[in-house]
Amino acid sequence: MPMLDRVFENSARSLARRTSRRSVLASLGRLLTGAALLPLLPIDRTARAQGAPGSGKSAVNDPQSCDYWKYCAIDGFLCACCGGTSNSCPPGTQPSPITWIGTCHNPGDGRDYIVSYNDCCGKVSCGDCFCNRNEREVPMYRLSRNNDVNWCMANSESDYHCSVSVLIGVAEPEKK
Amino acid sequence: MRDFPQGIAGLGVSMHKNLLRAALLAAMAGGPVLATPPPPLPAEHLTVAKLPPRSPHWAYVLDEAQNNEIDARVLLYDGDTYRRLGQIGAGFMPGDNLSPDGNTTVVAATYFSRGGHGTRTDVVEFNDNETLTKTGEIVILPKHAQSLAMLYDIAYSADGKFVYVPYLQPAASFGVLDPVRKSVLSEIDTAGCVLVVPSGPNRVASICESGRLLTVTLNAQGREASRASSEPFFDPDKDPVFVQGVPTDDGVAYLSFLGQVHEVDLSHAQPAFRPVWSLVGAADKGVWRPGGIQIGAIHKAQGTLFVAMHRGGDGSHKEGGSEIWVFDLKSHQRIARWPVDPRQISGTVVAVQVSQDAAPILFAATDKADLAVLDAKTGRLKHVEKQFGQTPSLVLNP
Amino acid sequence: MTGAAARLRRAAVLACLIAALPVTHLYAGPQQDYILYCMGCHGPQAEGVPGKVPPLAHSLGRFMRSPEGRNYVLRVPGAANSALSDAQLAEVLNWVAQKFDAAELARGAAPFTAEEVARLRHNPLTSVLATRSAVVRQLSSTGSAPPDQY
Repeated sequence: MPMLDRVFENSARSLARRTSRRSVLASLGRLLTGAALLPLLPIDRTARAQGAPGSGKSAVNDPQSCDYWKYCAIDGFLCACCGGTSNSCPPGTQPSPITWIGTCHNPGDGRDYIVSYNDCCGKVSCGDCFCNRNEREVPMYRLSRNNDVNWCMANSESDYHCSVSVLIGVAEPEKK
Repeated sequence: MRDFPQGIAGLGVSMHKNLLRAALLAAMAGGPVLATPPPPLPAEHLTVAKLPPRSPHWAYVLDEAQNNEIDARVLLYDGDTYRRLGQIGAGFMPGDNLSPDGNTTVVAATYFSRGGHGTRTDVVEFNDNETLTKTGEIVILPKHAQSLAMLYDIAYSADGKFVYVPYLQPAASFGVLDPVRKSVLSEIDTAGCVLVVPSGPNRVASICESGRLLTVTLNAQGREASRASSEPFFDPDKDPVFVQGVPTDDGVAYLSFLGQVHEVDLSHAQPAFRPVWSLVGAADKGVWRPGGIQIGAIHKAQGTLFVAMHRGGDGSHKEGGSEIWVFDLKSHQRIARWPVDPRQISGTVVAVQVSQDAAPILFAATDKADLAVLDAKTGRLKHVEKQFGQTPSLVLNP
Repeated sequence: MTGAAARLRRAAVLACLIAALPVTHLYAGPQQDYILYCMGCHGPQAEGVPGKVPPLAHSLGRFMRSPEGRNYVLRVPGAANSALSDAQLAEVLNWVAQKFDAAELARGAAPFTAEEVARLRHNPLTSVLATRSAVVRQLSSTGSAPPDQY
């Protein structure tokens, strides 16, 4: 799984530099926005091609649509409608350092992808593009699979603005 | 009561004289001849409305105001007169509940110092249900569990001496509060188990990822005296239960995604699990499912269970009901099936609640903010309140 | 323990570890398990969140030094209640320790085994923070320890 190895290569290097918390968050942001992954992901060409509404894309590939394949278990306002994108928080909001991790199927290439559903915090509700889907979502006794809680809870300003869905990598099938 | 000053009453008198003059002129001009005009309206007094006597047909409806989440509120509604009676403020991501004597609505919420941002303060607020005024608060650790509101996200002990409020850091725990002295008595680490189902004067059950119920027993000072975990009663991988339990006569019932009913007797020191039964027959399993937020309600005396049901597959557990199914708790038989009429009710039912009196009514809130009132015996739709608040999702009954 | 004895012990432990692995290696592995089951709260660098979520980096390897530390790790909610099987949990913990506390691990703490996990995890802690403090104090008095505050 070369792309996931690279996620952790970067994190190990950051760790070795003994960075301050601020730059840890910045490198977290790099990892989570997939900047380090961009050259490696075949899906990235589609990601770069995503444009404004009315671009004629089908909903399943439109990050401003609730049907976007990456949003299979999102709960909240789509940051893509709020000044951000499906993998970036709107200006002036803070990404949540804690999140929950899900898996969504991309019909475009037939793969399952691991996605990170971070919240963007510190401003009042965006109010646009509310979307709630719950594939493989589970109640809050299993917090790591739940989208009912406010993932902004650990932010210093925990009010909730919108949600992103950040591609982490391909999900390999699990077998216990 | 405020009386307006004499001057304004005097103004009324001179207005009266002017009216009389105008009427006489109109009469002389050939206009309609009035008999003596009606006396002028008396001056009003500005007052504050008093609530009518508490009725079992009232509903305390929590509106999280999703588009404006710092502005949640509890709306009080009269299910007989179909009128809004008043409102209680509820901050950001609240939980609410009623005291056992019905005299208080307790609300746990977050407030930010600058409204939409700033320093976070979490409080448990006490509201008098006769005047709808806030009568006190307890400042708690700024880690109130912020989530979609649900039953048992704050609760009183059965005797009203303790209030339990869940924390999420994301580590899970709950606070034990003294509602009379307005103090925090202790924090109980639940090691990942969530929500607070009270039983008796000093037991709290939380539900765990392992499929177990954790029961913590408190001493008279509200500190932990002992704890025990049940055997697992559900499998979160195969058929998770909705975390929002349905209050029963002697405990709580957990409904599962596939329609199993797990009734738990909490009246003794340790929970006792009744045999599991199913809301759906073999043909409907996995096809018809319970779903929504406040998925079910039980009329304790009549022994009936009301559930919001929808057709759907995996991942549909938050879809509201297109039908309400009614079950007899003794026979486990479905006794009624009430489709939601889309011509009268917009959206699907995400919250159900039934009044506990002998002529019960059923409240059903939809994902389009309609609040329907039904006869809970016949299913007859009595009234639909269109756009009741913004996103009503939890209905409590006195 | 002599050098030869230590090497023997390590070889024996390694043999046990290999024996404990599933026969087919079709499943994704500890890296993906970390991402799916742990990373959401503990972070991509296992750094935690100050004041809210404990770090695993520069921490887990130290807990593995003592029986009390290992006992604590296997009974925290994220481990005790995790959907991971005993074997998977052992693998992901060993992977995290190797990745994020390698220097400490090199001093000789034994990797977790599925057997050890099975034996300890099904008795969840009742008071996580209090136990953690006690264990950290104990470890501090005998060598390297995880941070007490985070």
